[in-house]
Amino acid sequence: MKEQISILPALACLIPAGAGILIFAGGRLGAWFWKGIAVLGGLATAVVAGLMAAKVLGGGSLTTWSNELHVDALSALLVAVIAGVGSLAVIYSIRYITLPALLDRVGRDIIERRLPTFYGLTMLFLGTMIWGCVTNNIIMLYVAVEATTIASGLLVAFYWDRNGLEAGYKYLMLLTIGITFALFGCVLIYAAATAYLPGVQALLMTEIKGVAGSIPRSTALMAVALLVVGFGTKAGIAPFHPWLPDAHAEAPTPMSVLLSGVMIKMAVYALARTVSMFLPAWPVISIFLVALACFTMVLGILMALLQDDLKRLLAYSSVSQMGYVLMGLGIGTYLGCYGGLFHLLNHAVFKALLFMGVGAVIYATNGRQISELGGLGKKMPITSGCFFIGALAISGFPPFNGFMSKITIYLAAAERGMWWAATIAIVTGVLTLVTLIHTAYAVFWGEPRSEKATADIKEVPASMWVPMVILAGVCILLGIVPQVVYPLLDKAAAALATLGS
Amino acid sequence: MYNVQLIETLSLIMILTSVTAVETRNLRFASIAYSVQALLICGLLLQFARGNPALYWWAGTAFATKAVVTPLLLFAYIKRTGERELKAIIGFGPSVVIAATMMIGFYRLTHNNIHLLAPTPLATEGVFRTNLAVALTVFALGIYAILTRRDAVKTVIGICLLENAVHLSLVSLAPELRETALVGIATEVVVTVWLLLYVIAGIHQRFGTTDTFKLSELHW
Repeated sequence: MKEQISILPALACLIPAGAGILIFAGGRLGAWFWKGIAVLGGLATAVVAGLMAAKVLGGGSLTTWSNELHVDALSALLVAVIAGVGSLAVIYSIRYITLPALLDRVGRDIIERRLPTFYGLTMLFLGTMIWGCVTNNIIMLYVAVEATTIASGLLVAFYWDRNGLEAGYKYLMLLTIGITFALFGCVLIYAAATAYLPGVQALLMTEIKGVAGSIPRSTALMAVALLVVGFGTKAGIAPFHPWLPDAHAEAPTPMSVLLSGVMIKMAVYALARTVSMFLPAWPVISIFLVALACFTMVLGILMALLQDDLKRLLAYSSVSQMGYVLMGLGIGTYLGCYGGLFHLLNHAVFKALLFMGVGAVIYATNGRQISELGGLGKKMPITSGCFFIGALAISGFPPFNGFMSKITIYLAAAERGMWWAATIAIVTGVLTLVTLIHTAYAVFWGEPRSEKATADIKEVPASMWVPMVILAGVCILLGIVPQVVYPLLDKAAAALATLGS
Repeated sequence: MYNVQLIETLSLIMILTSVTAVETRNLRFASIAYSVQALLICGLLLQFARGNPALYWWAGTAFATKAVVTPLLLFAYIKRTGERELKAIIGFGPSVVIAATMMIGFYRLTHNNIHLLAPTPLATEGVFRTNLAVALTVFALGIYAILTRRDAVKTVIGICLLENAVHLSLVSLAPELRETALVGIATEVVVTVWLLLYVIAGIHQRFGTTDTFKLSELHW
């Protein structure tokens, strides 16, 4: 694998971070400035991410600052997902963040005063997430993951009411404790690697990968356990998930899109990147990860079944879907990693779409309890159509993208003889179909169940439905021609796969 | 090269400051105990720095962030939320007994079984072994504080203890870590603590209390 020095990895994390700082610096200027810089920064990052993916596909990996930043196909995939969903979420937020019902609830002047903070932190949040995906330094990986928590903490508590504060407190508290475990794990790996690698090289994950097999057994297993707790907390893996439904439900919807669509993906990337190094020497870790994934997906979907609040329902469904991603990556074979990464990409697309759909419902009706909605489909045809596409895609219904990635994961589990895991995943898929289709039916079809659903309801503005239509289009595209992402996923899966079939 | 006796004395006092920070019901005193612990860490780092000059950087950063900024932040927010800690889940008497048992038990456990954890031969020897055992004991006490205290400010002090423990363990585990990483790790902890206290002040304003058990409106 040849490597080339490139400035792109540095640009990918510096552009959004710079945009965030610029927004803070221009905090006295008007909303046009903050929103404009955020949209431009998001789009510029997406362009850089696209260039980076193209370069990685053309040649080997890209490095910056003597291998401090290292982008292979896996990192390029993650950066593309973050930049793509991130810029759509920013566009979506332009109208959503000043929705009338919200201004009344929190206070017009308060929201307007906090707008530069919202956009500044959102851009910093994107920057830190991308940093986490491009860094090659195992200690800096921890620093970047913790930085995402810091950047997003105030965004979760943005509304500053009782629910928002409770969610924000739990979010900061649990993630900080969790990530401290991950730091311990990262430090242990680094310390163990110093015995085999000289100086700075022991910090670089590309180098550690080569010596991971020689690390003493007790240290390796201890480090893996700490990393699973640490990054698993951030990724919403059960039983470390309790922060997730609160934070995803109480944060402003564009923020929920980012948390559910990309942040937990970035954490699972950190988990896979570090833990996969140990799979060849200790295959038992693979079985442990798959079992944890099964527990996560079943618990998540059962909790989602019980929810009446739309955003909490989607949040628990995210927990469940992260189980699929972890199962794929935990299987550890090429096919498993391919399925896991494909599902990671797909989940970012359809979960962002579903959260945007719920945001549109909140925008139009000021309600988010399933029991008080109903019959919105006629008044909001675009939202309704997009939500149904998202619901079918997440349930693994052909011909949408979720079907393609889920079937890959089932096949990978079967290929390794893990029939129990494949069975649990298929049953969870059926439950997901029941939960999400029932939700979509109850909200958009049937009879209105309260005044909120009968009042004067209009379709949402174009800046909100255009991102939804784009994402719905991607769901269909990736379902019908999944080979468009094959080149990137193929290389990314090959970079992560450490077990033979 | 190292003054073994001094290091062991400082380590012992350090564990005691953790217990004090966990058990004191007055949050100001708990913050002071934490600050003393931070100073002890600086002292320990200076001792270890005789063998590894890179640690002078670490000692300076630890002094600025842990011994000065974090206690100041704690003091500023305790002024708003009140200095009396809310009752913990476990009463004072039993809690002291549990903390003391944990302190001795965990120290002995880790000190005797260090080979299970230590990745390098260096970390299993002499003062480095003591250092690692102390760090793990402080870590356990921090977890204990977070799990059993109801007062939100106290749980933040628990987090500070956790971070102290990990940072202290770097002496044994990662003595050659570069300054950028160290400064990054230390600064982030301060920012996290500040954000947590900021949110807790908001909670105090909206809920009228810092009792984490009252934060239960979001169920399931």
